[in-house]
Amino acid sequence: MADGANPNPPTARLRQKHVPDWLNSPIWSAPPPPARHLSPPRAASPPTSPPPHQRRDAPASPLPHPPPARGDDAGSYDGSDGDEGAASSSRPHLVAEFTVALVRKVVDLAELRRLACQGVPDAAGVRPIVWKLLLGYLPTDHVLWAYELEKKRSQYSAFKDELLVNPSEVTRRMDEMTISKRNGHDLEETGVLPRAEIVHDEHPLSLGKTSVWNQYFQESEIVEQIDRDVKRTHPDMQFFNGDSSDALSNQESLKRILTIFAKLNPGIRYVQGMNEVLAPLYYVFKNDPEQNNAVSAEPDAFFCFVELLSGFRDNFCKQLDNSVVGIRSTISKLSQLLKRHDEELWRHLEVVTKVNPQFYAFRWITLLLTQEFKFRDCIHIWDALLGDPEGPQVCGFEPGWWGG
Amino acid sequence: MVLVLALGDLHVPHRAADLPAKFKSMLVPGKIQHIICTGNLCIKEVHDYLKSLCPDLHITRGEYDEDARYPETKTLTIGLFKLGLCHGHQVVPWGDLDSLAMLQRQLDVDILVTGHTHQFKAYKHEGGVVINPGSATGAYSSITYDVNPSFVLMDIDGLRVVVYVYELIDGEVKVDKIDFKKTATMHA
Repeated sequence: MADGANPNPPTARLRQKHVPDWLNSPIWSAPPPPARHLSPPRAASPPTSPPPHQRRDAPASPLPHPPPARGDDAGSYDGSDGDEGAASSSRPHLVAEFTVALVRKVVDLAELRRLACQGVPDAAGVRPIVWKLLLGYLPTDHVLWAYELEKKRSQYSAFKDELLVNPSEVTRRMDEMTISKRNGHDLEETGVLPRAEIVHDEHPLSLGKTSVWNQYFQESEIVEQIDRDVKRTHPDMQFFNGDSSDALSNQESLKRILTIFAKLNPGIRYVQGMNEVLAPLYYVFKNDPEQNNAVSAEPDAFFCFVELLSGFRDNFCKQLDNSVVGIRSTISKLSQLLKRHDEELWRHLEVVTKVNPQFYAFRWITLLLTQEFKFRDCIHIWDALLGDPEGPQVCGFEPGWWGG
Repeated sequence: MVLVLALGDLHVPHRAADLPAKFKSMLVPGKIQHIICTGNLCIKEVHDYLKSLCPDLHITRGEYDEDARYPETKTLTIGLFKLGLCHGHQVVPWGDLDSLAMLQRQLDVDILVTGHTHQFKAYKHEGGVVINPGSATGAYSSITYDVNPSFVLMDIDGLRVVVYVYELIDGEVKVDKIDFKKTATMHA
């Protein structure tokens, strides 16, 4: 794609078959609407969500923002080395636009979303802040930022303190509360050691439901699964899987976040794949050039992860699989969307080859496309996903185009 | 947080058929990191059962054990504590505190675990602790017929040990605990 010889590879392929009308619509050659505060009209929102990828297929078009250097993104899309995405960091227009939008006292979310749909630049720590705003972690009013961050970060410390402590510690604290001054059994004296009664069945072999020990052992299975999955996250990336102590501490952070989430949400616990959804969030926040934020990447990532998942937690709940809000109905909605936009492809999949949409759609939807593209590209895709006003759910339907 | 199970004097099959059912239901694999056994199992089947609870098993030889390869005494280090293990029939008079203290000094350990008397005891003596987990099956001993099944679970957490004593009294499991800390003045 970098050679630009074939400006529209997907459409060229489709030209032999019936090309959907929207693909040929004038929207691709005209400049975007001049009024900055107007978001794109609702009816056009499905076609506008893949703009970062479709637009680069027409480098000659007079788009005001992206210079033809956008063609580099296509290079990464085609699967060649992902580092070409770094070219996007050198787009001063975009950085300037974002800075203007973010510096305002009260950030205009609609405009930020519109900007985000075009892709967030890598430079100047723009992305962490944009993502935090889009996910609702940071309030739009600048004045409240410090207060909110402080509150959320200390809440996370409280969670850690309460949920990640092992039962020995718990019993020790309980003892310190009930028995104020035991003179320590100095082991200098001689004599029979006094026996103490235990409090409601709190011993390590307890099988009682309320026992701290029993809960600990039952949850150890989930903790082990989280451990296994975290170790397998992005094995090719130094950040997650290197030999350095940084990589190890990153893995520990991921594990803590997922464990706390599982303990706070007994309804869905931990499902395999949550580590993949968490990884880009944590990566972006940890690589924030501003030190204060990078140090608190863990609490920030935790709350943003909760926000992100709250949008589609129903997809993870087994009982809801067959219901209206469950994963099956989401997949069938995707299938219907495909039928509406590209009947030919839909027919080929559903009728001719009879491929069950579960085979391709399930992973796309539940993992928000993290497994389909290289990590760099995922981050760019997520800019658009998070920027869409209707949230990841609607945008999640668009992958049919990128895959098709 | 290391869980160590200490038990012994089961005397299976000569004096008892098996561990009490209530004990067996509590002892599930996956929770315990080490098992130390004072001896007198006596047969291989019991050894295999204990091995299934935890792969790290330490046994010393009791006078009725059928496997002659168990050592007479054993020492191991768990966390910051040194534990010593011996059946106890070698220490005469049986169960005498001073003689056991001699053994403890010989082995140079913080916690000495011995059995043979089939009575649970926990003493601190001259800078060390002596624990007798009793008989896990309630088998009669040379000294007495009146034996309550008992065993001990130690939770070693840094400098502190919490000893949970499990006894079967009148068909019910009673659990008590004993707390002690290692102080800096103890032999390093």
